Amino acid sequence: MRLRYFLSETLTNLRRNLLMSVAAVSTVAISLLLLGGVQILGIVVGNMTRSWEAKVEVSVFLLDDITEGEQQALVNQLTNMDEVEDVTYVSKQDAYEEFKQEWADQPEFYENLPEDALPASLRVKLTDARYSEAIATLVNGAPGVEEARFGGDIIRRLLKVNSLLRSITLVMSIVLMIASAALIANTIRVAIYARRDEIGIMKLVGATNWFIRVPFLIEGMVEGLLGGLIAVLAIFAMKFAFIDPLRGQVGFVHAWIDTPEILFTVPILIGAGVLIAAVASLLAMRRFLEV
Amino acid sequence: MIRMVDVHKEYKGGIKALDGLSLDIEKGEFVFVVGPSGSGKSTFLKLLTKEEEPSSGEVYVAGKNLSSLPRWRVPYLRRNVGCVFQDFKLLPNKTVFENVAFGLEVIGRPRSVVQRQVPQILELVGLGEKLDRFPDELSGGEQQRVSIARAFVNRPLILIADEPTGNLDPATSVGIMRLLDRINRTGTTIVMATHDHAIVDSMRRRVIELESGQVVRDQSRGIYGVGT
Repeated sequence: MRLRYFLSETLTNLRRNLLMSVAAVSTVAISLLLLGGVQILGIVVGNMTRSWEAKVEVSVFLLDDITEGEQQALVNQLTNMDEVEDVTYVSKQDAYEEFKQEWADQPEFYENLPEDALPASLRVKLTDARYSEAIATLVNGAPGVEEARFGGDIIRRLLKVNSLLRSITLVMSIVLMIASAALIANTIRVAIYARRDEIGIMKLVGATNWFIRVPFLIEGMVEGLLGGLIAVLAIFAMKFAFIDPLRGQVGFVHAWIDTPEILFTVPILIGAGVLIAAVASLLAMRRFLEV
Repeated sequence: MIRMVDVHKEYKGGIKALDGLSLDIEKGEFVFVVGPSGSGKSTFLKLLTKEEEPSSGEVYVAGKNLSSLPRWRVPYLRRNVGCVFQDFKLLPNKTVFENVAFGLEVIGRPRSVVQRQVPQILELVGLGEKLDRFPDELSGGEQQRVSIARAFVNRPLILIADEPTGNLDPATSVGIMRLLDRINRTGTTIVMATHDHAIVDSMRRRVIELESGQVVRDQSRGIYGVGT
């Protein structure tokens, strides 16, 4: 009977100020959507970075007139370094074949290319992508070396943009969370006001404080829960609408996000929604419900 | 049952409501509290349910010292002290039955108890035929009976009535007083604040007169006042 009482009270309260509840729920949803966005962005960029880093190599392009001795010295120097895992020699012929393979569907790119147009190179595999810049600098300028290049530059820039984007979104999400807490507190305040006569009588006949409070607490938490569920649905909707169609369309991105990784954010978002709502309701009760 | 020892109560702003009030009320007594407006009657009644706390002095209700009663125990105190007011305080969107049942439900009484006790008490107050009426379909006297039923359904040790006949005509008031007298005969202590001379004079019960927060007269089998 008690549970039924609490639930019916909650339902009445929610219905009684529907518009305000809708406002509170949608603000919760938006703030949580941003919070979820931050997490998912983090996962996507993390995936991308990892898949790129695994492929990061330093390519040491060799001059055509490099001597046997210079080349051997370079290979020895690189192989002896702890940071270097493996050094592979790519001859002009190998480079040409690779190029041909890479652009197999667009033969006009290589048809007119002389077979010795591409320089020979050393491919240096590193134990960790972090060393790429240092190694490239070290090898640049060595005798017989035309240029050493590494692919980490874009990653670094991407990470910078990403961290800025995440900070901005996080701040926005926190601001909105405070706003949603205020809105929930307000719906609770209105609900308390609408029931002031009942509350007065409950106190009079000796209802305990928690008995009086629980319906309002449930009301707030239901609003938080609804907001969280809407945010989760919106995230999945966005995944299916925007991310999935792009998969495989944008060549340089190899690691998109998958459903299990989004599922991981579900308990976080719903938990955050309910928690914010509970705190907001309790604060509202402290202020507006003297018991 | 009720004991006050040198109770002072000063509200914010320096208004003195009670000024050294001491009294004892035994179990089963029927006590009228009279006195002009602002004499401290309401404050006195509010101390009994810990709605207000004394600035100094001790208040005992049903053997408990209220100043050492923790806040969370206050609801349990109130279950032993029923309250009836001049304005009835009924919920307009609930029926007679629901209004009385509400008082039991919110203190967690099981449904079976509610279903059994509410019709019983409404029978006792003479509203056995009007369970499904809403408060605005009842006369003032009937509404006060519902309010008394709600206060008494939990069988409190003490019933506090603050001007229960203040809004009622003399004939109806007599009916309400008969009801309170009946409740008193079950052993319930009744403390009633009133301005109604006729009632006090006809009942001939203990009268405590307050003035400026002090007891100026305490008379068993008393009348409303001398020279008024």
